Amino acid sequence: MISKTSRIILNVYVAAFLIYLLAPLIIMGGAAFNDSRFPSVYPWVGWTDRWFLDLFRDTRMWNAFKNTILVALAVVAISVPIGTAAAILVNSLQGRVRTVLYGMMVAPILTPGAVIGISTLLFWHHFSVPSGLHLSTLGQCSYISAFVMLLVLARLQSFDRGLEEAALDLGASYSQVLRRILLPHLYPAIGAGAAIAFFQSIENFNTTLFTRGPYDTLTVYVFSRVRSGITPTINALALIMIAVTLLAAISYEIYRRRHEKVLLARGRGNPDSD
Amino acid sequence: MSATVELDRVSADFGSFRAVDKVSVTIGAGEFFSFLGPSGCGKTTILRMVSGFIAPSEGHIRIGGEDMDGIRPNKRPTVLIFQNLALFPLMPVWENVSFSLEMRGVDKAARRARAEELLKIVDLPGAGNKMISQLSGGQKQRVAIARALAVEPKVMLLDEPLSALDLKLRQHMRAELRAIQKRTNVTFIYITHDQGEALAMSDRVAVMSQGRLQQVAKPEDIYNNPSNGFVASFVGENNVFDGRIIASQTTTARFETDLGVFEAAFNTPPSSDQKLRLYVRPEYARLVSTAPEASNAIAVTISDISFEGNFINIHATTDQGRVLTVETRNDGSSDIPETGSRRYFTFDAQRARILADETQAAHS
Ligand SMILES: Nc1ncnc2c1ncn2[C@@H]1O[C@H](COP(=O)(O)OP(=O)(O)O)[C@@H](O)[C@H]1O
Ligand SMILES: [Mg+2]
Repeated sequence: MISKTSRIILNVYVAAFLIYLLAPLIIMGGAAFNDSRFPSVYPWVGWTDRWFLDLFRDTRMWNAFKNTILVALAVVAISVPIGTAAAILVNSLQGRVRTVLYGMMVAPILTPGAVIGISTLLFWHHFSVPSGLHLSTLGQCSYISAFVMLLVLARLQSFDRGLEEAALDLGASYSQVLRRILLPHLYPAIGAGAAIAFFQSIENFNTTLFTRGPYDTLTVYVFSRVRSGITPTINALALIMIAVTLLAAISYEIYRRRHEKVLLARGRGNPDSD
Repeated sequence: MSATVELDRVSADFGSFRAVDKVSVTIGAGEFFSFLGPSGCGKTTILRMVSGFIAPSEGHIRIGGEDMDGIRPNKRPTVLIFQNLALFPLMPVWENVSFSLEMRGVDKAARRARAEELLKIVDLPGAGNKMISQLSGGQKQRVAIARALAVEPKVMLLDEPLSALDLKLRQHMRAELRAIQKRTNVTFIYITHDQGEALAMSDRVAVMSQGRLQQVAKPEDIYNNPSNGFVASFVGENNVFDGRIIASQTTTARFETDLGVFEAAFNTPPSSDQKLRLYVRPEYARLVSTAPEASNAIAVTISDISFEGNFINIHATTDQGRVLTVETRNDGSSDIPETGSRRYFTFDAQRARILADETQAAHS
């Protein structure tokens, strides 16, 4: 049993933690509606929607937004297959080769983003490839595919190799086993990997900054706006991004719960005993 | 359809460990053949070699006369029912059952229809749309069998498929498996560590120990005429006496133990230095109140009577403190002695056997 005092301490702690976590977001969001030239809620000058209107009128922002989404989609398209394949390969290896390959895949996660950015730039420069969003994509993929690999690798631990043998024994070829048995088992992890890849790409700044060439992405756009004198349009942009993320997370959760209920309902159709 | 399966001095090595040692046996087409042996004796390894998941380190496997060397599992006319069944959890029952047809590119309607037919054969009609997780143990068993039958295999390999079921269901499935085998006439190779299963279902049984075949024979011969001490004690119970032969005729010998000298059947000439023991099954032993004039009698005191339902186990202690067991049927025909009463433990020479511990590995 938790004693009364320790429950009070626990509640205070949770409250403090949530305030610490959420207060900056609330203040930042509030500032997006304050009719003040500076991004703050105090002093409160009055309600306004002009920062949002400013933002929507900003063609440079729209361009950066489009670039960000393009890069994120490209990163998903490249890093998901690479990460999945690497996970399957690493999982099938043993001993030293496995350790080496695993280390090589995971190393970019531990490497600072700026280093990845600069080395991507230098590497392709060597082959006279100009910088641009394609290099940003490649640079990001080098560490994002490792995230995908880690997720898929974790899921592979729960895969019963016996199923693979059973399928082979029933006449399946290796590619049929992959398509019909292994990949369906991995789909949840692959889906999660795709989502993480997408968001990792959107929020990437360091790697992109060095490789982007003349192109803007959202993070770079925010960065340059902040440098040239900050206005509450940035707050408006941030608020929209938070809202979109929250909506996505909530709708996924609703979908997941519904799906679970369906499964439960199906499971309740009692297996008649022998 | 069925095919013969021929193991020709097949061995399997894992590093320096020999899991299967020069096993030779020919299994007839349409036969229900069992490998019986304790856990770890190499049964699964044999099945995995026949199905093609591991290659023998020496020897040959022929199915229907054809050498299987280098032929992959998906190209062999065999299908394996795994110890844990290995049903596909993400597919409904009917897709599981018709998986092999899907792999061959059969269209969906035909697969569905065939799955329904096979589910009828295994007595699970209408279960096609269920998920595997919704099935009971016995139902999963049947789905695994239906999935294997869909391949129309010539040889079906079963790796202790009943070990996860409870006793009642296990006995029911024994009869069921046997019936399916007779109906389909597929060659069944069945492995188990359960002697009751092997004896009840099989046309022939191979008893194994530590990678070696000990005896291949019909169930009744395995039980009645075990070829060595391992087979005798693995299949059924025994009273075992250490000792040595002091005189031998053609089919019997006199055997000296520290409880006396006994006469017992003896036909395998022992290889020079093999340890010999005398084996008397509890149901072949009797308890009598007066010492029989022939030999084969040991004075005992009844120490415990355990009632097992259809039979009764009587434990009797010799004056030296050895506990012997006699089994009698619970049919009212035999009188059951009181605990503490004095009796003589006796047996017929023809029903007792002098056996070497293990058959020496056949060399050459
Ligand atoms: N892949 C393997 N590597 C090493 N040893 C193995 C392997 N598979 C089986 N063995 C060993 O071979 C012996 C026989 O195993 P197995 O055929 O599974 O026995 P059973 O099925 O009769 O219980 C066991 O001692 C086991 O530890
Ligand atoms: Mg086994």
